Amino acid sequence: MSGAIVTRFFAPAVFAVGLLAPAAATVAHAQAKPQPRSTSTSARPSRSVSIGGYGTFGRVGFTAAESFDAILGESTGSLFGGGMRAGLPWGGLFVDVGAWRFHAEGERAFVFNDEVIPLGIPVDVTVTPIEISGGWRFRFRRLTKFTAYAAGGFTAMKYQETSEFSTPAEDADETYTGYHVLGGAEYKISRWLGVAGEASWTTVPDAIGTAGVSQAFNETDLGGTTLRFKITVGR
Amino acid sequence: MSYSSPPRIATGAAVVALMALWSGIGHGQLVPGPVAKAMIQDTGLPAIDRGLRDQDPPRAARTGRDADRLRSASGAALPYVRGSIIVKFKEDATGGGISAATAQVAGTIADRSSWADFDIVSIPADTDAEAAAAAMRARPDVAYAQPRYRNHAMARPNDTLYANQWNFPAIEMERAWDIQPGASSSIVVAVLDSGMAFQTGTLRYISRFPFRPTPGGPLYPPLGVVDVPFAAAPELGASGSTRFVSPRDFIWNDDLPVDLDGHGTHVAGTIGQLTNNSNGTAGMAYNVRLMPVKVIQGLWDEIFGSPFEGTDDVVARGIRYAADNGAKVINLSIGREEGGPATVVTDAIRYAVSRGCFVVVAAGNTRAEGNQQNRLAIGAPDIAGMVAVGAVGRTLDLAFYSTTGPYVELAAPGGDQRQGGTSAGILQQTLDADQLETYTRPVSQYGPPRADSFAYEFFQGTSMATPHVSGFAALLMQQGINDPAAIEAAMKQFATEKGPAGRDDSFGFGLINPRATLRGLGLAR
Repeated sequence: MSGAIVTRFFAPAVFAVGLLAPAAATVAHAQAKPQPRSTSTSARPSRSVSIGGYGTFGRVGFTAAESFDAILGESTGSLFGGGMRAGLPWGGLFVDVGAWRFHAEGERAFVFNDEVIPLGIPVDVTVTPIEISGGWRFRFRRLTKFTAYAAGGFTAMKYQETSEFSTPAEDADETYTGYHVLGGAEYKISRWLGVAGEASWTTVPDAIGTAGVSQAFNETDLGGTTLRFKITVGR
Repeated sequence: MSYSSPPRIATGAAVVALMALWSGIGHGQLVPGPVAKAMIQDTGLPAIDRGLRDQDPPRAARTGRDADRLRSASGAALPYVRGSIIVKFKEDATGGGISAATAQVAGTIADRSSWADFDIVSIPADTDAEAAAAAMRARPDVAYAQPRYRNHAMARPNDTLYANQWNFPAIEMERAWDIQPGASSSIVVAVLDSGMAFQTGTLRYISRFPFRPTPGGPLYPPLGVVDVPFAAAPELGASGSTRFVSPRDFIWNDDLPVDLDGHGTHVAGTIGQLTNNSNGTAGMAYNVRLMPVKVIQGLWDEIFGSPFEGTDDVVARGIRYAADNGAKVINLSIGREEGGPATVVTDAIRYAVSRGCFVVVAAGNTRAEGNQQNRLAIGAPDIAGMVAVGAVGRTLDLAFYSTTGPYVELAAPGGDQRQGGTSAGILQQTLDADQLETYTRPVSQYGPPRADSFAYEFFQGTSMATPHVSGFAALLMQQGINDPAAIEAAMKQFATEKGPAGRDDSFGFGLINPRATLRGLGLAR
């Protein structure tokens, strides 16, 4: 059921953001038609490296929805993070290095016939992915303040789980690797400041599922879907 | 006729009665009467604490044969009671059908006992009860029928404070208590056993008949009227306190299930011995309340002529009573190896589980003597919420006596004194055998027992393993797992595997692991 909630929450957002880039591009392309010089949805190629930074916040919905719901009471939560982005001197190509953090408190549980029985023992879960992405920015001649982008890359997902009464060996502090894809659109408020909406999907296979409730629910993927808002600084 | 005649008659009768009483006290010639047990004082001196008894020599192991020793001497050397059987008629059974069925075995139905959904059908004393039960089972109106098999304590009482309780560190109880410190008084654990030292006072019994404690041994004379001082075990709780709830004696059919054996008090100690009180020994779930339910008799109960003995129907009634009176865990450190299935008990256990009770039964102590299975425990695999418990010794190897079989689901410390001597048993406070079992003395020194003197004694047996699991269940309930089936699943899931991979007939799913079970599951760990 939690999975369904996540799907209901994120699917439209992902769908909207997913559509945003090509749709905007199409509009730009259509508007550009009378103008012979607009043969591409891309803005004119950048000639230099541009570097910017951003702060981000949003929501994450984990693929292992039942496991997160069983321990934390919900399978979604808030995230906060930041990163840097470098525009490269080849068209809209850019690279991005960002990280965010999810943290929640719950309680340990026992699962019996798919029923979750909470045991009242506090547990802290922290997920901190570092995402290294490469992508392409789409600029529009008539909508000069908008930029759409799409990217993909590697994820290093740090997972930390600690609970009361545990020994260090019983706690988890591991980093797993996976990959992600993302898409979004940025609006420049000024030359140096902008806001962006972005959706991403991450998969980190076989990170969980060998113990804990994730084993009981046979959920192995530590990834998930995020909907993030960004405040960007830089050109 | 003179009006002075009645006083003369009364005086004469009184003299005759006094002479008869005197005669009875001295020679055991009392005319058998209906009352053989009466509370004559409900207060008494403080209990006597005779300390740790770790130097006692090993005592003879108790088996079903011992349980039958007195009544066997009277010719009842069968694993069941003669002259009656247990029958449950189907809901749609007609009066004609019931009459025809009982007529087939020349039987009559007695008034139904309390806490029973079955009937006791009296049959001729010389009728083979097993054959009669089989004939009844073949009838279309009968749901089940079985002889009134006798049950006995599973303990092997043997001969010795927390440092001596190796059994708790062996299952990491210190760390488990960090998570769940002893449950609470909201959990009631029923101990269906030989009674419990839960009250202080004096009980008057009548010993009418001579007996031989051992076949071929000396004949011990009747003691006549005997006033037995008894006391609440200091390490269980104060007499009259809220520690003890709904006491019931199905052996004497009253509300005074005092322990005249020591087995039940020892078992109760492992479940709920007062802990962290700077005295004596610890218990698994030391804050729970205890329900003393007496369903098996000790030798003294037999000497005093208890009206009932620990037959299947009595055990079944005890289980139903406990379930109906608020017990959440039922401990059955009892059983029998002989005879057929204990359908009436299994039925009662199903009822108890349906009422939210978790039922724990000893696997049995017969591995070294033919490995006969405990008939009360064999239904465990079919009932989610009931477990049968085997025993391990100090080395955590299977105890020499622990019965193996497909019904064994878990193992817990029960002690193995062949692998470590007296102190390798399970230590708890119980009745002081020296003061209680006066029938072990020469006839010339034989006298009334004291049930107000206590000692810390090492016992071994699956009877001792079983209360570890009962206490464990109480801790899990306090932690939030209330469904008996879920408790069983949790215990099995987190058990420390012993023996061959997977379930096996010796350890079941393994040695109980209270800490891991109470800690449960994290998200990924």
